[in-house]
Amino acid sequence: MMYYLKLGVILLIFCAVAAGVLAYVNGLTTPIISERKAKEAIETREALIPNSTFEEKTAADSSYKYFVALDKTTKEVNGYTFVASKNGYSGKVETMVGLDKDFKVIDVKIITQSETPGLGANCVKDSFKAMFKGLGVENLMVDKDDKDNGKIIAMAGATITSRAIANSVHEQILVLQKELGQNDGGGK
Amino acid sequence: MRFVSELSKGIVKENPIFVLVLGMCPTLAVSTSVTNAIGMGMAATFVLICSNIIISMIKNVTPVKIRIPIYVVVIASFVTIVDMVMAAYVPALHKSLGLFIPLIVVNCIILGRAEAFANKNNVLNSLADAIGMGAGFTLSLVIVATIREILGAGTWLNISVMPKTYDPMLVAILAPGAFITLGFLMALINMLKERK
Repeated sequence: MMYYLKLGVILLIFCAVAAGVLAYVNGLTTPIISERKAKEAIETREALIPNSTFEEKTAADSSYKYFVALDKTTKEVNGYTFVASKNGYSGKVETMVGLDKDFKVIDVKIITQSETPGLGANCVKDSFKAMFKGLGVENLMVDKDDKDNGKIIAMAGATITSRAIANSVHEQILVLQKELGQNDGGGK
Repeated sequence: MRFVSELSKGIVKENPIFVLVLGMCPTLAVSTSVTNAIGMGMAATFVLICSNIIISMIKNVTPVKIRIPIYVVVIASFVTIVDMVMAAYVPALHKSLGLFIPLIVVNCIILGRAEAFANKNNVLNSLADAIGMGAGFTLSLVIVATIREILGAGTWLNISVMPKTYDPMLVAILAPGAFITLGFLMALINMLKERK
C-alpha cells in the first residue's frame, strides 16, 4: 500500500515540476508571441491593400470583426480585409483576405494552417494563392464542386484543403456583403 | 572510445528507421520534401538530445513501475517548451518547423531511446546515443524524401532537377508512395547486409 502511495507521490512531483516549468515559460513567451502576431496581422493587412489606413469594425451581431481600408490621401473606401476560417484536413485553416470595394479579391494570405506537408500545406504557395486574385464571390468555388463558375482548381491530393479555403472565403464575403447591405452579387 | 561507438551506431548499424523501424509515423508523414525532412530531423534530434540527457540524469530516482509516464511527461514538456520558445524568439524558424514540433511527441524514437538506452547509461553516452540516433533519423528521412520529392514533384530542395517534359509521378508524394519507397529501401538495405 505504502509503495503505491509513494509511486503516486513521485509521479505527482514530476508532473508538478513539469507544470511549473511550463507555466513559467508560457508566462514568459505568451506576451512576445501575441505582440508578434498582432504586428504580423498589421503587416499582412498593409501588404494586401497598400496605401491604406485600416479601421476596425465589428459586425452588428458582434460575431466577427473586419477592417475597412481607407485610402491614405482621398479617405475613400479602398476595400475590406477579414479573416476567413474553416476546418481543413487537419485543423483550422485561416485565410486573411483583401477585397477591393467591389468585393473582388485583391489577394489572400494563409495565416494559420496545419495541413499535410507536401500536399495541403502547399496552399501557402503563390501558385495556389494566385488563383484567388480578381475573383468575385460567385467564382470562389473549387472547380470540382461547381464546374461552371468555380475558378479555384483544387490542389492535387488536397481537395479538402482547397475546398476549405475557397468556401471559407466565399462564405465570409457573403456575410460581409449582407452586413454592408450589398447582397447583389452573391451566389449567382 | 565508447562515446564514438555509441555515436556512430545510430547512423548505420542501428539506424532508427531502416533497422530499428522506429518513428514510422513522422517518417511517412513528412518525407514528402527534402526541406520538410531536414526540418523534422533537426527538431526531433534536439528534443531527443534534451530528453535523453534528462532521463539519464533522473534514472536513479525513477521507480521502474512508473517510468513510462515520467518519460512521457519529460518528453511532452520539452516539446512544448521548444514550441513556445521558438515561437517567441525565432519566429522565422518556427514558421518552417512549427508544423513538425507537435509531431515529435508521437515520435517513438524518443521514447524508444529513453527506454532502451538513456535509463541504463550515463549522461555522456546517452548524449552520444541521442546525437547518433538523431543523425541517423535525419539522414534516413532525407534519403526517403529525396526519392519521393524527385519522383513526385520533379524537384530537390525546391530546385527543379528533372527535365521540363517530366510529368511528376504524384503517387510518390502521396501516402502510398511513402510505404512503397520505404519498402524498397528496406529491401535494398537487407540485401546489402546479407551479401556481406
